[in-house]
Amino acid sequence: MSFTFRLMLRDIRSGDLITLLMALIISVSTVTSIGLFIDRLQLSFEQESANLLAADRLIRSDELISDDWKLEAQNLSLEQAERTSFTTMMFAKDSLQLSQISAVSNNYPLRGAYLVDDTLFGTGQSTTDSPKQGEVWVSSRLASLLNIDIGDEVEVGEAKLTVSRYLVRDPGSSTSAFAISPRAVMNIEDLAATNVIIPGSRVRYSLLLAGGRDTLAEYEAWVKPQLEDGQRWQTPAQRGERIGDTIGRAESFLLLAGTLAVVMSGVAMALASARFVKRHLMQVAILKTLGATPKLLTRVFAQQLFALLIVGALIGLGIGWGIQEIIASLLSSLVSSSLPEPSVDRLWLGAATGFISMLVFCLPLMMRLIKISPLSVLQPNAKIEQNTVFVYLIGFVGMYGLMCLYTNGFLLPSIMTVVIAGISLLVAGIGWLAFRLGRSLTSGATSGWQIGLASLYRRLVPNLFQLLVFTLIIMLTLILIGIKSSLIADWQQQLPEDAPNHYLFNVQASQIEQINDETTKLNIQKSDWFPMVRGRVTAVNEDTVQDLYPEERGEPELFERELNLTWSDTIGEGNELVSGDFSAEGLSVEQESAKEAKLSLGDELTINIGGNIVTLPITSIRTVDWGSMQPNFYLILPKSVLEDYPANFVSSLFISDDSAQPFYRVMSKFPTVSILNVGDILKQIQTIIGQLSQAIQLVLLCILSAGALVLLASVRSTLEERLEEGALLRVLGAKSSLVRQALFVEFGALGFFSGLIAAIGAEGCLYGLQVFIFNTEPSFHLSLWLFGPLIGVCVISTIGIFASRTVLKVPPMLLLRGL
Amino acid sequence: MATNTAIRVRNLTHTVTSNTGDLTILKGINMEINESESVAIVGSSGSGKSTLLGLLAGLDVNTSGDIFLYDHNFSSQNEEQRALARGEYVGFVFQSFHLLPSLQAIENVMLPAELKGDKDARKKAEALLDKVGLSHRLTHYPNQLSGGEQQRVAIARAFASQPKILFADEPTGNLDEENGNLIIKLLFDLNKSQGTTLVMVTHDNELAKMCDRQLVMSAGQLTEKTL
Ligand SMILES: Nc1ncnc2c1ncn2[C@@H]1O[C@H](COP(=O)(O)OP(=O)(O)O)[C@@H](O)[C@H]1O
Ligand SMILES: [Mg+2]
Repeated sequence: MSFTFRLMLRDIRSGDLITLLMALIISVSTVTSIGLFIDRLQLSFEQESANLLAADRLIRSDELISDDWKLEAQNLSLEQAERTSFTTMMFAKDSLQLSQISAVSNNYPLRGAYLVDDTLFGTGQSTTDSPKQGEVWVSSRLASLLNIDIGDEVEVGEAKLTVSRYLVRDPGSSTSAFAISPRAVMNIEDLAATNVIIPGSRVRYSLLLAGGRDTLAEYEAWVKPQLEDGQRWQTPAQRGERIGDTIGRAESFLLLAGTLAVVMSGVAMALASARFVKRHLMQVAILKTLGATPKLLTRVFAQQLFALLIVGALIGLGIGWGIQEIIASLLSSLVSSSLPEPSVDRLWLGAATGFISMLVFCLPLMMRLIKISPLSVLQPNAKIEQNTVFVYLIGFVGMYGLMCLYTNGFLLPSIMTVVIAGISLLVAGIGWLAFRLGRSLTSGATSGWQIGLASLYRRLVPNLFQLLVFTLIIMLTLILIGIKSSLIADWQQQLPEDAPNHYLFNVQASQIEQINDETTKLNIQKSDWFPMVRGRVTAVNEDTVQDLYPEERGEPELFERELNLTWSDTIGEGNELVSGDFSAEGLSVEQESAKEAKLSLGDELTINIGGNIVTLPITSIRTVDWGSMQPNFYLILPKSVLEDYPANFVSSLFISDDSAQPFYRVMSKFPTVSILNVGDILKQIQTIIGQLSQAIQLVLLCILSAGALVLLASVRSTLEERLEEGALLRVLGAKSSLVRQALFVEFGALGFFSGLIAAIGAEGCLYGLQVFIFNTEPSFHLSLWLFGPLIGVCVISTIGIFASRTVLKVPPMLLLRGL
Repeated sequence: MATNTAIRVRNLTHTVTSNTGDLTILKGINMEINESESVAIVGSSGSGKSTLLGLLAGLDVNTSGDIFLYDHNFSSQNEEQRALARGEYVGFVFQSFHLLPSLQAIENVMLPAELKGDKDARKKAEALLDKVGLSHRLTHYPNQLSGGEQQRVAIARAFASQPKILFADEPTGNLDEENGNLIIKLLFDLNKSQGTTLVMVTHDNELAKMCDRQLVMSAGQLTEKTL
């Protein structure tokens, strides 16, 4: 066994290496567990959104999709499926109905599942099957319109197909066409026989793809440059736009949490390294007098650090994996859907954290250790070279680098770094003043109060450093708690349980009363009716609309499309006036779309409504709460302008699971009315929000535990001196209650001030985070100012007393000898 | 007796920088110490004895002049070379013992041999501890030993590398008379039996008198004390 490892084993016995190892393990395991967990959540969201797309990626095209593209997908071993959608007449014995039909390949859907049922208007069971050749699945609505049952025959073009199931939900249908419209699915093999697709017919071809992330990215890079007009590359993220915002914020939170974990573990590593170096200075000097050369010592410590890194990283990765598994399993029991397995290749992040922490926090200090002059054995006050600024700088830069690596960006790390630097200055200033004051208030050592305060002053520099560490940890905790509460509160109010989950479109004025009667009978909550007229903006001021969006984009922009227009005398629920006057006889525009098209008050829009041209100035701009699930409109016109056009009406309703079937039955009396069911999406959003809230709480808990460990380590780092002093006091005859009181005062004061400064820092930080990262309204947090100091005093003095309880128990003799 | 020169010092000057400005501790010292000799360095506290001892042992680099330890000229060597020379020629005993607190007595004594890669380190260490009368304390940690016992371990460690020169800086300064005498006896015994050169800083006149020569440190100068 080499000298290095014998030395190491002996060091392990003495506990110094263990402290360092523990810090390394904490740092690797927190970063690993949060990294893995974020990855799992991301995968899970991606999968949930993939269910909405029926695939991981999708190419949508107005033209037949080229065989080259399918071949390339095959070469990359991607799973692929096809869907061809078109609108055509479906014929039954005695009736016919215009229907939306999808012809799908056998392995469709690649993600998600169909909901089908054997009873009309049933709620459905999921199946990953798709219609076999010769079969067709029809929506209950289509079946009731055509008056057909399972087993009946229908005709699509020239092909005869047998109805085999009722279709409740098609996983790949876009959000705007859920289930209740007249729809049908058939097998793509029967498509040729129908002969309905002739040149010029409007058909939408889709190529669905599924596979590994990297392979998909490779395919995307290959195919994207070849896309032409009318062809689009779609990802689940685009499809899941509505949840995108929520997930985005949760990811920001988790990322923030992870970043703070990086900071905490950096602090832990720095503390442990400093302690290790302090305790080894004399030892290295002695080894040098015994003939250890710098080369040998460099080798010994390099090997020790390397061994430590390997062991610490492995254990840390293992523990990190374990913690993340525990969080995931706690979550899955709460939300009843299991998360996908994390990707193993994310482990490198934890390993890199360990390596970089070693490099920036440990190595510079170790190098200092090796440089100690052997003369120190004779001249204990011959100091080692203090290149402290350099060491701190490396640590700071390293921490910043780690955060950048972790967040894959610069904004969050920069905010954090600026705040930490500011806090350091503040701590130095406030701490110095406070202790100064404390000293002048105390003279003599008769009470625990005085001894405690005096000893705070005596060890000013180490105490200030400790104050900084305490402050940072408490501040990070306060920030996380603050963000967590505001996020969760935000989400919960976003989607109440009874948010409308169905829309009724295409309702004629004459039908309104009847439908109102039916819904009242069924006890269904319904919004007001909104009149709706289709129109198209053709010019803004003197310019055509094309000039509004100079850069060419794939999707027709808002004001280039045909829009739903409405009129109203009063600003509706969930709308909020930003500027202008809603009651003026002009246009009211939604804020975001106005921004996008660079429209402002006074601009004149020319609108083509069914061939009639009207020109109106913008007289108000409003925000719209899309989350309210009420019918909302980008453009609202004055009543006087739209009143005389033939309008359809739209309304939103909340339909519970119980009332769904009777409601659908009733609605079959109104074949022209379109029903849009967004309940699935809402449920999904609610599930995800629930999942995220739980996830965030658990991650928070995880980080707080890491924070507590760092606090403990920090307290321990100055414990020796405190122990020595406590022992001395007791040798001099102090009762242990006096020593306890002194310790309590010392730690309590440290805790109070760090809590107070932390509250200041957290408030500032929260402001920055809310404005720049989470895009929410900044708010003042009174509770921080209460809880900061309170947590500080309670937690720090508890940990302090806990860690130094030996002072009060062990015979003073032993302490004096051992130190 | 054919005498070899173990240590030769020529015009040794040493200046340190402190926060109150430059301080010249040693001002032009010349001396020679022969092999197997025992030399005491005496002088008032703060006169520079420890500084001189450290320089003689190659623990630090002097400002000017030359220090020869056998054929090593410390003034022109780097730390790497000086460390190797220390390992080969030098043993140390300190006032405050300086045992490694994380190592057992036996492990402390094994260190010098281990640094040289000696396979028999443990056996030799056991023998040495036996010689200083501590064979029953092998696995004790320094904080489990009394001051006298710690110093005996330190002596065993100093002799473990079979040094040609032993430097001792007030070896009895922290000990009571009884323990001090025991330590002195050990040092001189080993000095005699192994022919080790002994260079010792001390305040103790009795102890100084036991040495072959006494050198007095005063105002940065070293003078031979003639009886
Ligand atoms: N590295 C140093 N920096 C500043 N002053 C030093 C240094 N080394 C020694 N001194 C000072 O030089 C003087 C001699 O020290 P030392 O050799 O330890 O004296 P002695 O061992 O004789 O008591 C003391 O006043 C000491 O404070
Ligand atoms: Mg001295």
